[in-house]
Amino acid sequence: MKYIGKKLAAMIITLLCISFLVYLAFDLIPGDAALAALGTDATPESLAALREQLGLNRPFLERYLEWLAHFVGGDFGTSYKYHLPVADMIVSKLPITVIMAVISFFIMVVISLPIGIYTAKHSGKRIDRIVMALNQIVMSVPHFFMGILITYFFGLVLRWFTPGGFVSYETDFWKFLAYIIFPCFAIALPKIAMSVKLLRSSCIEESKKDYVRTAYSKGNNTNKVLYRHVLRNAMIPVITLWGMTLADMLVGSIVIEQVFNIPGIGRILLTSISYRDYPVVEAIITLIAFVVIVTNFVVDVVYQLIDPRINV
Amino acid sequence: MKRKKIYSSNVIIGLVITGAMLLMILIGFIHTPYDITKMDSAAKLAAPSLKHLMGCDNFGRDIFSRVLKGMGNTFVIAAATVTIGTVCGVVIGAFTGYFGGLLDEVLMRVNDVVFAFPSILLALVFVSIFGTGKYNVIGALGIAFIPSFARIVRGEFIKYREMDYVKSARLSGVGQLRIIFVHILPNAMPVLMSSIMIGFNNAVLAEAGMSYLGIGVQPPNASLGSMLSESQTYLFSAPWYALFPGLMIILMVLGLSLLADRGGK
Amino acid sequence: MTKRGQRFVKVLFASMLLTLTVALSGCSGDKAAGDSTQIADTSAANSSEANTVANAETDTSLEVPGEANETEEDASHITIGIPQDLDSLVPSLSQGAGTQEILYNIYEGLYKPDSEGNLIPAVASDYAMSEDGLVYTFTLRDGIQFHNGNPVTVADVKYSIETCAGLNGGEPVISAFSNIVSVETPDERTVVITLKESSSPFMAILSTVEAAIVPADVTDLQTNPIGTGPYKFVSRSLQENVVLERFDGYWGEPAHIKDITLKVLADSDSIVMNLEGGAVDLVARISTSQAAELGDDFEVLEGTMNLVQAMYLNNAAAPFDNEKVRQALCYAVNKQEILDFVSDGKGTLVGSSMFPAFGKYYVEELNDLYTTDLEKAKALLGEAGYPDGFSFTMKVPSNYQQHVDTAQVVAEQLKQINVTANIELIEWETWLNDVYQGRDFEATLVGVDASTLTAGAMLSRFRSDAHNNFVNYNNPEYDDAYAEALAAEAVMDDDKATEAYKKCETILAETAANVYIQDMCELVAVRKGYTGYTFYPLYIQDFSKLDIE
Repeated sequence: MKYIGKKLAAMIITLLCISFLVYLAFDLIPGDAALAALGTDATPESLAALREQLGLNRPFLERYLEWLAHFVGGDFGTSYKYHLPVADMIVSKLPITVIMAVISFFIMVVISLPIGIYTAKHSGKRIDRIVMALNQIVMSVPHFFMGILITYFFGLVLRWFTPGGFVSYETDFWKFLAYIIFPCFAIALPKIAMSVKLLRSSCIEESKKDYVRTAYSKGNNTNKVLYRHVLRNAMIPVITLWGMTLADMLVGSIVIEQVFNIPGIGRILLTSISYRDYPVVEAIITLIAFVVIVTNFVVDVVYQLIDPRINV
Repeated sequence: MKRKKIYSSNVIIGLVITGAMLLMILIGFIHTPYDITKMDSAAKLAAPSLKHLMGCDNFGRDIFSRVLKGMGNTFVIAAATVTIGTVCGVVIGAFTGYFGGLLDEVLMRVNDVVFAFPSILLALVFVSIFGTGKYNVIGALGIAFIPSFARIVRGEFIKYREMDYVKSARLSGVGQLRIIFVHILPNAMPVLMSSIMIGFNNAVLAEAGMSYLGIGVQPPNASLGSMLSESQTYLFSAPWYALFPGLMIILMVLGLSLLADRGGK
Repeated sequence: MTKRGQRFVKVLFASMLLTLTVALSGCSGDKAAGDSTQIADTSAANSSEANTVANAETDTSLEVPGEANETEEDASHITIGIPQDLDSLVPSLSQGAGTQEILYNIYEGLYKPDSEGNLIPAVASDYAMSEDGLVYTFTLRDGIQFHNGNPVTVADVKYSIETCAGLNGGEPVISAFSNIVSVETPDERTVVITLKESSSPFMAILSTVEAAIVPADVTDLQTNPIGTGPYKFVSRSLQENVVLERFDGYWGEPAHIKDITLKVLADSDSIVMNLEGGAVDLVARISTSQAAELGDDFEVLEGTMNLVQAMYLNNAAAPFDNEKVRQALCYAVNKQEILDFVSDGKGTLVGSSMFPAFGKYYVEELNDLYTTDLEKAKALLGEAGYPDGFSFTMKVPSNYQQHVDTAQVVAEQLKQINVTANIELIEWETWLNDVYQGRDFEATLVGVDASTLTAGAMLSRFRSDAHNNFVNYNNPEYDDAYAEALAAEAVMDDDKATEAYKKCETILAETAANVYIQDMCELVAVRKGYTGYTFYPLYIQDFSKLDIE
């Protein structure tokens, strides 16, 4: 209980820091919501009036504290640009981004785990070399380029999907899935390459250790040793990576959302930063930070389950 | 025995690629066939030929010359970024992972903050305070890269700190710093090396993103990332414009990661 | 200014920062928002030459792809790509030009602009102005109704205008409407608007979408927009789409196509793929390079963007406070070469702060004032005390590729007279803050457009005391000429006013206030089978004229 309490306190402090820094950042960068709204037709009077109306004239700290008070009270505020409640905006877009991240993660685990173990087991053989060479190349291909290649090849050449023809999950869930599976692969591919590589090298590393040799010398067969001993320890760095990847995918999908023209949480975030629409940015960043922190926490716990010697 | 042979062949390939890349970077610093900003309306989006080895861009500028110069810019930015990320990340990760406790708690929370903080916002803040330029890209990206390295290293240290050889070293009075950097760190190298390569790749790409925000390499100067992004619109009519900078990025990362594999083993 | 639709934001690249393994939760500016963050007071004053509509591809194959095949009229549908989501669906709260050009189809004011730039009756069927120009009397159109079926009443008109004028409490939404003293409704068909002082652009401002007539009794316009336009609102999904349907109770000529989906294409790089892949049928303001990528399924229509692209110089900052230096730059820059490099030669050269859509105000001869002459440029620099040239920084908004490209060509051309232009790309919001409001720059390369088709919209900013004189132009002669124009306008002497405005333009050109370049070409990609796309001299997309072959 005490442990969880401590974690919770740390998490709250972290979130506070992030939300404060985001506010501070907006205070430092040029331009504000009033200027973004009025653009080149702004007159000193209209700017002043709009700033007054939006409450931008007040001291930075006062604005932050007020925002914070509302936020804690569950009121995420209203978007400067869309004049809609921030909470509604996020709730309507969150499922898209989350589903994409989950599917990508699933693809990554399902594909990389067997390949990683297989190549480790057969390291040095022809098949391993081919897979690793491919892996190396996939890792070297720029992320967004992968998205464009997929769009070009599967979308324009093979016509398996219509680029930009995104269908909302609310309209038709299956069409939605049929579309996002492509961006999900674009997100997952580099991660697959990364985790295959890490898993393989980690397994090989681990299997050189004394305890593994001992296990072998006791006459245990290869597979048993591999799965019971080697894999267990070899998974630790891989799980670190996966933990980071899950959060990364949530965020990384922002880029892919652009390539595939998907109106997810990332799109909202991008437009809002540009528009200096900080109620929206604050809410989304805090949300992302929350996810990152929770994932880190879960990773720590999983560590402990895998390797009881570790005291987190 | 067999395995060793594979690695050496990888190393040879890696060496050849990286050597060639470095040579091109070096040549780019000394001499380019054309002035990289020289425009030629007759050669707009010209296909590769003997005159222009990699063709021309939308201003009729020689892509080969721009690639040579751009590689240098990209390399410097990416290498510096990864160095900052690695050095700081290793130190933070090593100490937090090894000692644990309050320090770990605090630093990891700071890490979480940086991790979750949008890098573009960070970059914009950097620029509004320090102005645009190559060094600010390096600064902003460097900071953004620290958490991932720190977490990976920390994970490794947590794994090793309870190992018998570490315990015995501690009992026999070996200094903490020595344990961290001499006894444990080398064991974390394979994992660290692969993250360095991934980091380098990401730094190259992030640099392109920065170029578009107007931070970093300013036009008409070139970097591989900025060339790649400028070429997007011409993907169908002049594929070579995207192809060559893209290929160079892939080769640069590939060569280094082949070498890194060796370093890790 | 600089807005004009098609943004070349590399949101994609910008946001690549996020993909660092490091999961930086990043974001880039979706420049879409930035691009058109300006209020577009649409209006129209004088009939102006409509934009030329040229079919880039004349062969008319009968292949009609996509929805165009559907022959049954009621199933007619078009998907139109728009570069950014709409901000507010309430006309008086809408800010972006990109929003207002769409709302034009849903809402109408008492009057509205047509494709020639003339004002035509909309919610009103007629109006009369008193001799002193202070009292405007409008007659409500017979039988006009809102999308919800309710008839439009004079009370709705009174409510709408008063809201915009701030007479219902609060600040005036349209600052020019603070001039309104009262809105009276003497009978069921008549609305009388009284002004404090006569104002020639009043009708133009009254015709903007912001001043649209909305029902007084509907409180949730934001989620349930109701107007009188040819299309009614069906649904919206943020950053995804807006769905419209033909309003069958429309008072005027009904729209041809029944269903319209506006699809948000936030990433300009995806425009070509969306068109080619069949996800959208029409995208306005594409670039020449995007147009070149399109296949035979599309027609590319060509118009002009109606703005003045120039290298704007800070006339208060050395060395640009020296007229000779500015002139030297004008002589060194080869405008035609810029067009050739940046837009395959498309675009209209301009020589002052005025573009052809303004018709009678436009002075074409000024284009030839500075023919490229490097020797003369060098000589002028020598006279100005810079025989060895100088270097300066040109701040360019990074979201707009065409300006960035132009800046690179200009920088290259200036090298020939030993002048070094260091390009500094900045975010649009930073540009607004530092350059436009802060006037902290040496030179910048953007396009400046007009919010109304009144000459003042282009020229008033160069008065030495104008709040939006971001180039710090300070010339008593100019101020006098402008005052002369205003004086002539006040007494309704149009010829004299026009002369005075032309004089202003000439002064700007002769003193080389800025290095004027062009009115950029505007390209619209339309899938073959769809017809009727109409260019407006203002920021308007009129969907009601679209049709299916």
